[in-house]
Amino acid sequence: MDYGTETKIKALTKIRRERVLPREGEILVSPGDRVETSQVVARTELPGDFRILRVARELGISGSKIEKYLQVDLGDTVHQGTVIAKRGGLLGRSVRSPIDGIIVARGGGRLLIEAQPTPFELHAYIPGTVLEVADSRKVVIEMSGSLIQGNWGTGEESVGVLKFITNRPHSPLQPGSVDPSCHGAILIGGVMADREVLEQAEDVEVRGIITGALVPELITHVQQVPFPVVVTDGIGQALMAGPIFDLLRANEGEEASVSGSVQTRWRVERPEVIIPKPDKTPPVNEEAPDDGLTVGTRVRIVRAPYAGQVGEIVNIPRYARRIETGARVRCAEIDTGQDEPVSVPFVNLDVLR
Amino acid sequence: MAAENGIRSILVVDCGTVMTRAMLLDGVGGEYRLVAQGQASTTWGESSTDITGGVRRAVRQISDVTGRRFFDEGGDLISPQETWQQGVDAFAVTVSASEPLQLALGGLGRNLSIASARRAAAGTYAQIRTLLNDRQGIPLTDESCVRAIRNAEPDVVCIAGGIEDGADRPVLGMVKATTLACSMMDRQTRPAMLYAGNSRLRRQVAEIIGDEAELRVVGNVRPTLEREYLADAQQELASLFLQRKLKQLPGMATLSNWSPVPVAPTAQAFGRLIQYLWHLGDPETGVLGVDVGGSNTTIAAVFDERLHLTIHSGLGAAFGGEELLRSKNPETLMRWLPEPLSYEEARGLLINKETHPTSIPQVERELWLEQAVAREAIRETLEIARPGWQPGYAQVYSDLLPVCDTIVISGGTLAKAPRPGQAALVLLDALQPIGISTLVIDAYGLAPALGSVASIKPVAAVEALDAGGLINLGTVVAPVGEAKPGDSVLEMKVSYDNGSELEIEVCYGDLEVLPLPVGQEAVLELSPRRGFEVGVGVKGNGGKRRVSGGLAGLIIDARGRPLHLPLDPEQRREQMQRWLRGAGG
Repeated sequence: MDYGTETKIKALTKIRRERVLPREGEILVSPGDRVETSQVVARTELPGDFRILRVARELGISGSKIEKYLQVDLGDTVHQGTVIAKRGGLLGRSVRSPIDGIIVARGGGRLLIEAQPTPFELHAYIPGTVLEVADSRKVVIEMSGSLIQGNWGTGEESVGVLKFITNRPHSPLQPGSVDPSCHGAILIGGVMADREVLEQAEDVEVRGIITGALVPELITHVQQVPFPVVVTDGIGQALMAGPIFDLLRANEGEEASVSGSVQTRWRVERPEVIIPKPDKTPPVNEEAPDDGLTVGTRVRIVRAPYAGQVGEIVNIPRYARRIETGARVRCAEIDTGQDEPVSVPFVNLDVLR
Repeated sequence: MAAENGIRSILVVDCGTVMTRAMLLDGVGGEYRLVAQGQASTTWGESSTDITGGVRRAVRQISDVTGRRFFDEGGDLISPQETWQQGVDAFAVTVSASEPLQLALGGLGRNLSIASARRAAAGTYAQIRTLLNDRQGIPLTDESCVRAIRNAEPDVVCIAGGIEDGADRPVLGMVKATTLACSMMDRQTRPAMLYAGNSRLRRQVAEIIGDEAELRVVGNVRPTLEREYLADAQQELASLFLQRKLKQLPGMATLSNWSPVPVAPTAQAFGRLIQYLWHLGDPETGVLGVDVGGSNTTIAAVFDERLHLTIHSGLGAAFGGEELLRSKNPETLMRWLPEPLSYEEARGLLINKETHPTSIPQVERELWLEQAVAREAIRETLEIARPGWQPGYAQVYSDLLPVCDTIVISGGTLAKAPRPGQAALVLLDALQPIGISTLVIDAYGLAPALGSVASIKPVAAVEALDAGGLINLGTVVAPVGEAKPGDSVLEMKVSYDNGSELEIEVCYGDLEVLPLPVGQEAVLELSPRRGFEVGVGVKGNGGKRRVSGGLAGLIIDARGRPLHLPLDPEQRREQMQRWLRGAGG
């Protein structure tokens, strides 16, 4: 049976991450090298600011004649105030560079000066072994560790020590629990519902927040904080899924890499929490054959009225059922620990692997 | 593939951004029939971005039902068919799963060449990442133009502008700035340049660009102030989309090897199908096709045999709703809801939908929100499309939709709406058709792919459509005119084929459904009041029309055109509830 999505919650697995420069550059590692989280594995230069000088217009000449008046060549380094072109005579005029930079292009009576490029360094993000380097842009790193995929997030990548500030999967992160001891940590809580928590977390310079749920009113605020936020379960839901909470709890105090980056459309990229386990070896053939949905599959329900609940499939009725909206669709019965199993459309199930 | 006359079985697949659907057509009793169908999410989990994964899973469901084997041990499609339980004679596939072409677009005059270039871009899967003009349509300064292109990193910079023999300096200025921007970019990532402006400037444009960018030159999209010419630009953009996006999609090479005809973009194949349906109807009216996909919304309109294809890339049933809510007045979306929902909650629900795009609403408040997104997706696409149409006689009122004989609805949100009346109401609210139209639903989401089958085995496409590929949703009668709510606007007598009759008086503001099931027909005798018309007879006179039934029945929509919604939110919600009840939703 086909289902909606799947989420990896792995205590120990092999993790590979591609690290890609925004443009071609220099790769600083080789296959087989061991790398650490904050190690620079590649670097490049990003284009700097630029200015376009309308030289022909400034000198009062036609575009085809500027060659004669130019004082610089393509590729020359210039400084602010350097004379770029000048025209002698009674009505002599000159054009000076408004910035420090390099002459990179010329045409149509104009000149393009590009400022010094900005160095860009690509960090390993996870500790591990370099598996592959390619195209002067890409490094693939492999490691062993725990992996938790989030559902939504904001912000880029970060590294810090995992620190719980709530005791239960459904407990909200409280402002009082964020204190100076949280400095440099990645905070974990069940539900993010208070803006003050975000402000305090920013004040004490946390490295990130992992929350099971996020109240919709805080979406905009979360998008403005300077650290990544990983929402493991969803927006508007009530708690962090039990298996995620338990795995994080078992790793409290460990260093983790987190990413809040999310892409959902043409390229799937999910927020994640990675906890390195360099001394452990993941099981061989850890990927179970993909049989789709079967009795016993552990799933999370992603839509109301059972959104966020986790359970096991106990029955897959053969025929389509009518759901609350009136639609008739194939459903599975899920035991969520309540009195009765609940009936949920296949497509509303997220398989937890 | 077997020779055309030897084709017994065809596997038809449509790979959308969210769902991949597959269908097996096979010769049964001398006719092609839909034997089985399956669907699966296109990409599944972190590692499977290869679209063949979704195809295999969808086809596996057909295998489960039929016991037929489609792939050999190496994973290749078995074709031609080896036995009746092994392989297929032909494979047809349409794809909309790739990222759209990213465009930077510049022109002269907001309502002239810029508008025309926008419509040309909407003819393929393309997103306008940046405009090289300001809000008034004035070209950006050199620096701003270069900055815009460099930041947007488009696949194509499209420069239009200048009617024939019109202004040249601003156009050449944009070309120069584009050239400078290209010269600053890595060779591998430089955009192509599409010049669709004043043809007199082509030589100068080529000289300015030199070898800094790949230049493609097409006919001027706005050769005169009054005339628009999009065909060349649309064709070139479609070709760039195929080359730079579709063919780069992981798995496309495999699908291309399996298919005897080129893999078609879904929207183009959908357009072909709508064009085919136009040939079956009244040539003085149009045929519309509306496909609300996961990431894109397509409107294919055919008038006077000519297809006008408009794709709104980036706004569909699963993706784009949250951005729509955020970027526009929230009321744009919320006005369609029959119960209160806060902005924040709506935003959260729409984000969750994007993270679980295959999921469906299980409670009504979420269903209403998804249907509201579908309404706005159609309305926005229609706004882009309409100015480019040339409807001829079908355009009875300049400010309303041209008369459309048939309207085809595709896409899961509408085709799989819990009640047919809901799909009909979404369409009526979004399109606001006038006169008499037949609404047809693409029940299996494979209408576009059937458009592609037509190029392999035309008779198979026709027979599959007749055999249930398209199902009548209903006939809608929408009188046009102005009156006060409650005023009588139309008398109607329905004569059913079984001899029974029904006479009703329709009042302004009414929306109701009369019974007329699928497979039944009836004759309507329509007598509009003075000042009203229903597209039968001359204004006010009315006449008779034979109509078909459908899943939603015979819908009388006398709510007025254009539709007015109460300003007060509470009254508006009550109104929406009444309309939902009235439409059987």
